[in-house]
Amino acid sequence: MKALFGVIAVFDTAEAVKNAAARLRQQGYRTFEAYTPYPVEGLDRIIHPRPQRLLPGLMFAAAVLGAAWGYWIQYWDEALNYPLNVGGRPYNSWPAFAVSTFELMLLVTIAAGFFGMLAVSRLPRLYHPVFEARAFARASRDRFVICIEASDRRFDASVVRREFEQLGAEQIEEVRA
Amino acid sequence: MTMTLPREFLPDAPVVAPDVTLTSLSEEVSGRVLMDRAPLWWWIGFAIAFALFTVLIIQMGWLFIGGIGLWGVNIPVAWGLAIAEYVWWIALASGGTIVSALFFLTRSPWRSATNRIAESMLLSAAPCAGLMPIMHLGRPGLFYWLFPYSNVMGVWPQVRSPLWWDFICLLCYILMSIMYYYAGILPDLATVRDLAKSRFKQIFYGILALGWRGSSEEWRNQRIVYAIMSAIMAPMVVSVHSVVGLDFAGGLTPGWHDTQFPPYFFFGAVISGTAVIMMLTIMVRWGCGLHDVLTGYHLNALAKVMLVGSVMLGYAYVWEAFGPIYGSDVAERTEFFQRIFGFTAPLFWSEKILTVVIPQLLWLPLVRRNQLLLFLISGGIIVGMWQERVMFVTASLEHNSIPSRWGVFFPTLWDWAALAGTIGLFLTLFFLFLRFAPIVSIAEVREVVEAERSK
Repeated sequence: MKALFGVIAVFDTAEAVKNAAARLRQQGYRTFEAYTPYPVEGLDRIIHPRPQRLLPGLMFAAAVLGAAWGYWIQYWDEALNYPLNVGGRPYNSWPAFAVSTFELMLLVTIAAGFFGMLAVSRLPRLYHPVFEARAFARASRDRFVICIEASDRRFDASVVRREFEQLGAEQIEEVRA
Repeated sequence: MTMTLPREFLPDAPVVAPDVTLTSLSEEVSGRVLMDRAPLWWWIGFAIAFALFTVLIIQMGWLFIGGIGLWGVNIPVAWGLAIAEYVWWIALASGGTIVSALFFLTRSPWRSATNRIAESMLLSAAPCAGLMPIMHLGRPGLFYWLFPYSNVMGVWPQVRSPLWWDFICLLCYILMSIMYYYAGILPDLATVRDLAKSRFKQIFYGILALGWRGSSEEWRNQRIVYAIMSAIMAPMVVSVHSVVGLDFAGGLTPGWHDTQFPPYFFFGAVISGTAVIMMLTIMVRWGCGLHDVLTGYHLNALAKVMLVGSVMLGYAYVWEAFGPIYGSDVAERTEFFQRIFGFTAPLFWSEKILTVVIPQLLWLPLVRRNQLLLFLISGGIIVGMWQERVMFVTASLEHNSIPSRWGVFFPTLWDWAALAGTIGLFLTLFFLFLRFAPIVSIAEVREVVEAERSK
């Protein structure tokens, strides 16, 4: 038999899954995750209480670097590498460089945000043990799923099962992968 | 005395029909993607679109062999339909970003169901815009010289030129739009993956969804990044279309040399882009049978955006007339009077009627609820904006500062083939989006459904 990955419970409303997550956290469970069809307000703060500061910081850093890079290629082109005298205007004509600097800054920022989002969420990851659960497919549609993973310190399959029953889970399933 | 508008939508009118549930929504929208055989109307539409697209291929092939003399461009009118249509297409695309990004920031509930249509539209229109200047280059095979890259010739692009800014803007705009679209569609691809029955589709959408599971951490990261992206895309799109305006404002040609053109062009983008979204929304609504998700609420909201665009455009037109009349530049004034009473007068006046006068009907709630009228008004706006861009580009060159160099522009058959062909490219791409990707943002409409339910 395959190893036990965790136990999942299926709830039918956003409020129920939020209550369940809060209760599990209160009882000391740490290695659990909720899978929902849309972002449930406040659920992420219950499961991951530390605020996500990395992504905005990354995007800001990318904006600064992107602007510097955008300005530099124009400065290097017009002032250092291929100086062209157009009506006596300065080689480093910064007002003319502003537009492209702005665009390249935004491009780098968005690219950093997009790839940073994937990296921080550890995507692409085409396989995950939780996909083995039959009930999981509905988490992308109309059901709210919580999975307590077997790696949790306090994990005990029968206790977890009872816990979910008390919380009013619609369906409970062991995930083996 | 208080004014009553009995036919106006109540402020808490439902955004989606009350019988839509999370289950029905996912199955309905994904069903359009997962159906084994596309419906007949899709094949008919796609066939027409593809036929027009082949016109573009033929036109481009012949143009690249024969050169741009095939078109009606010559001296003095060296910028003809290709440049006008470049501006027109990029305006339509920009409208998609405005609806999608700006109204995400305002948290407008109607944006949730229309943003994917808007973004699919923009990703279909942007390549059409990009092709136009490349076809116009004369040496299209050398367009990559615009990239600042290290080459053996030691030649670099002139980055002080608005034309180069334009290239950078369009390039960045397309790349950013693809990332913005993908960041938004990721959860929907996971829904399609989980609903797919055949092994091939499960693998296909499984790879596209990158293994999205909808965990609370993924949602949090996606929402943070998506919000910042929206806050970036909104000013981005203003800058893109303003730079198109700067291409003209930077020239000394009478009628172009005016500081108002960046916002003037942007106003045109708001109205024409929204008009395309309106037409596509009405067509998707009927074609896909999504009446319960794309409701009158959405059409009403889009119509109001169009009305605002029309009023802003009217304001810009007043200043366009004020400048030459108040100023002392003879060439500017002559050009302006030639434009409104000369060869381009029919284009000028019919355009004003289509984009500023007729859209005033949208003040009436009755009109905003009538889909046929909305469709016709939107179509008129799109045609009107095309006329405006064409007149704007050609009339100024026709009546430049030296009367001995005046001339007229008249498009040839190949000019029209380029227009028809890019419309074909646009429709082909849009029909592919319609067939292979969820055309409504399922994840975001779920939130609207839940909000309606808890009211």
